[in-house]
Amino acid sequence: MDTNPSQRRLQHQQQQEQTTEQQTTNRVQAGREFASVEDLLRYDASQTTPPARIAERLQDSLKAEPPPKRSWWQRLFGG
Amino acid sequence: MTCVRSASATEDRNSRRATPHVDSWSELYEQHAQHVYYLALRTVGDPTQAEDITHDVFLKAFRHLDQFRGHSSIRTWLYRITINHCRSVQATWQNRNILATDNAQILDGPSTNTEDPFRVLEVQELGERIQKTLDALPAEYSLLLLLVADEQLSYQEIASLTEQSPDAVRGKLYRARKAFVTEFQKTE
Repeated sequence: MDTNPSQRRLQHQQQQEQTTEQQTTNRVQAGREFASVEDLLRYDASQTTPPARIAERLQDSLKAEPPPKRSWWQRLFGG
Repeated sequence: MTCVRSASATEDRNSRRATPHVDSWSELYEQHAQHVYYLALRTVGDPTQAEDITHDVFLKAFRHLDQFRGHSSIRTWLYRITINHCRSVQATWQNRNILATDNAQILDGPSTNTEDPFRVLEVQELGERIQKTLDALPAEYSLLLLLVADEQLSYQEIASLTEQSPDAVRGKLYRARKAFVTEFQKTE
């Protein structure tokens, strides 16, 4: 080997610094620019999922309910 | 860094309006639950309460289906129930008391649509900034922005939900967007 331990340590340190710098750059690049407030809110909404337990709770609650009355338009059009 | 420009949205929303087709309750839930939950979450700012509100909205809709006259879309009808329910939750003394004392609930953020830990953090951080921003705005502005972000709603429907004219909605939206951008920048 042509490098002594102190040089290897220096190289390793430099490599680590480079990787950290790269990761930081990626992180900044991963940031988004939204064309409007609505776009930002739409993105936020798309990333927000209702917990699955709501559907389970609702199913349990609906089991205890009498069947819903049909509305006038459903009765008229056979919905 | 997240940038938001105060550009005005496309005004012709009516052409994008989709007619809901509902065959069953599970389909109704699948089509609208995310939107109802999101509106509730960003209105009350608490995932646990948003969960309860979403459950109650669909249960109420089931109970009062006969009152749905078809003059508006199902989405609009569900939003009307959601807005009223959020207002009543926010108005209760008990709610104010719980929010002031129970930090654990606030720290327990809403579930996100991603499994990548870095993305989860990014999405959570963005969600927190959005929540802070909406909380800092007048309630009317926040509601208008949340409604206009739903592409299925026309300005006429937003006007009906917020009990004002479409022209008033447009005017207030302009100010709401500007206020949002200003407040959002403060959260950086």
